[in-house]
Amino acid sequence: MISVRGLRKHYKVHKRPPGLKAALRSLIHRSYTTVKAVDGISFDIRPGERVGFLGPNGAGKTTTLKVLSGLLYPSDGEVTVDGHVPQKREEAFLKKIMLVMGQKQQLLWDLPPAETFELNRAIYDVPQAQYKKTMSDLIELLEIGDLIGKPTRQLSLGERMKCELAAALIHQPRVLFLDEPTIGLDVAMQATMRTFIKEYNEKYGATLILTSHYMDDVAALCPRVIVIDKGLLSYDGGLDALVQRVRPEKRVVLRLSEEVDAGRLSPLGRVVTHEPGTAVLQVQQEAVNATITRALSTLPVMDLTVENAPLEEVMSELFAESKARRTAVSEPVSA
Amino acid sequence: MNVKRYLRLLGIQLKASGLLSLQYRADFFTEGLTSLFWTFTALAPLFVVYGERPNIEGWSFGEALLVVGWFTLLQGILEGAINPSLTGVVEHIRKGTLDFVLLKPADAQFLVSTQRFQPWRAFNVLTGIGLFVYAFMHLGRWPSVTGLLASVLLLGTSTLLLYSLWILTVSAAFFVVRVDNLTYLFTSIFDFARWPSSVFQGVGRGVLTMVFTYVIPLALMTTFPAQAMLGRLPPQSLVGAVVGAGLFAWGSRQVWLRSIRRYTSASS
Repeated sequence: MISVRGLRKHYKVHKRPPGLKAALRSLIHRSYTTVKAVDGISFDIRPGERVGFLGPNGAGKTTTLKVLSGLLYPSDGEVTVDGHVPQKREEAFLKKIMLVMGQKQQLLWDLPPAETFELNRAIYDVPQAQYKKTMSDLIELLEIGDLIGKPTRQLSLGERMKCELAAALIHQPRVLFLDEPTIGLDVAMQATMRTFIKEYNEKYGATLILTSHYMDDVAALCPRVIVIDKGLLSYDGGLDALVQRVRPEKRVVLRLSEEVDAGRLSPLGRVVTHEPGTAVLQVQQEAVNATITRALSTLPVMDLTVENAPLEEVMSELFAESKARRTAVSEPVSA
Repeated sequence: MNVKRYLRLLGIQLKASGLLSLQYRADFFTEGLTSLFWTFTALAPLFVVYGERPNIEGWSFGEALLVVGWFTLLQGILEGAINPSLTGVVEHIRKGTLDFVLLKPADAQFLVSTQRFQPWRAFNVLTGIGLFVYAFMHLGRWPSVTGLLASVLLLGTSTLLLYSLWILTVSAAFFVVRVDNLTYLFTSIFDFARWPSSVFQGVGRGVLTMVFTYVIPLALMTTFPAQAMLGRLPPQSLVGAVVGAGLFAWGSRQVWLRSIRRYTSASS
C-alpha cells in the first residue's frame, strides 16, 4: 500500500547569531544551514495495517506524514501510496487519503459541522446515497447526532475533534494519516477516539499511520511501530519486541498489608518506588520467578502483579540512548 | 476542469456564506450606513474640485461622477466577493490550515477564492448604480445600448483584473510573513481609481497614467467602463481591456501556482 525508499527531506533555513549587529549583517549577507528533517528512511506498509510513528519532537514524523500525503516534495527518494506518487497530487490519489491533524482544524468555525460535511461531500463527489449511509454510521459510532447542528465554535475540544474525524472520513479514505489525533483530550475522550479509529480500520480495511505523544494511543492501536529519530529510522517492528529490546527488565508491583523497611526490599531487586502499602521492584526477566517466590515468603504480600516498564519510560530511554550514541561519534556504535 | 462540479461547489460555498450572513442580520444595516457614508466622502472632493472649474482634463462633473459610480460598484464587488475569501488565505497560511485546502481533490485557487462572501457588501453595488442614474440625469442624456453592453463587458474584465491583483497580493503571503501591510497598500492604491485616469496626466509627465494603465491597471477598471457608458471608448481600447485582463489573470494564476509549489516544497 505504502512504499518508502530512501526518503530525504532537507530544508534550507536562514540562520543568524543573536544580537543586533548580526541581525543587521544578515539583512545584507544571509547564511543558510541545511536542516535534515528526514534523512534517508525506507519502509513498506501493507493494506489495512495500523502503524505508529514514534519519535521525540522534531524527529521528522510530521514531515514524513506530509510527504506521504503529498503536501511536501521529498528532496530525494521514492514514495508511492497505493500506486500514486503523492507530490503529483492527482485527484484520484487525494480522494483515497486523508490527513487528520489534532492541532489544526478544517471545520468552518462559525458554522455547524454539518455544513463542512456537506462541502466535503461535494468536493469528494460522494454519491448522495453513500453519503447518507456513511454519515449515519459516523454519527452513531462517534455519538455526534446532537452536535452537528451547533456552530463549531460552541463545541468543546473533544466534541470538535470527533466532528473533525467525521469530516475527514466522509469520502471513506483508504489511507488515513493521523497526526496527534488525541492531543489535549481527556482520558475518556482519548479512549473513545481510539475505539473509533480501530473500528474504522477494521470495518473499511483502511491503512492507518498514527503519530502520538500518548503512548497509550500507540499501544492500543498499533501492533507495529516505526521509530524515527533525527530523521533516521531507528526501529521498525512489533511494539512488544521494542519494549523487550530497550528494557528487558520486568516490574513486580507488590501491595503490602503493613509497612516494611527498605532494607527488606532491596535484596529482591532494584526498588523503583516505595510507599507505605506498595512497592515496585525492577528485576531481570529470568529472575522474576525467584523474586516472586522470595517476596511471598519474606514479605506481607496481599497482591502482586508483573508488568512491563511504562511505555513513556521505554521511549525516553530509547531516545536518550540514541542521543548518547550520536554525541559519542568517535566511539563504535553498538545496537 | 469539470464546470458543472465547480458550479455546484460554488453554490455550496455561497450557501454557507449566506447562512453566515443571516446569523449577523444587523450587518445589513451597518453596511448600508457605512456604504452611504463612504460614498459621500468619496463625492466630497469632486464637489470641491468642480466648484472651481467646469471640467478637468476633458471630464465634466457628471462624467467624473460615472467614474466614482464605477469605483463604488467595484468596491462592493471587491469587499463582498473577493477580499473576504482571499484574506482568508493569509489566515490559512498563518495557521497552517492551508494544508487542508491542498489535500482536497479540487483546484486550490478555486477553493480559497470562493470560501467566503459578504453579501451585505452588495449595498455598494446598489449605491454605484444609483450614482450612474444620478450622473446621467445630471448630464441630461442616457447611454446608448452598445455603450451599456460594452460597459457590462468591462464590468467582467474589471472584476477579473481586481481578482487577479488580489491573487498577486495574496501570493506574496507565501514569501513574506506579514501581508497585512500589502493589503493596506493595495486598498490605498485602489483609491486612485475613483478619479478618471487622465487626471494624473500632469503628474510626472504622464508616468502615473502609464503606471495605472499598464502596471496596475486601475484605468481599465473604472475609467474605461465610464468612457464606454459615455460612448467615448475606442473599440481598440475595449479589445485591449479584454485581452489585457485575460493576460493579467493568466499571469496571476502562474504566480499563484508557483507560490503553492514553493509552499509545498519549503514549509514544514
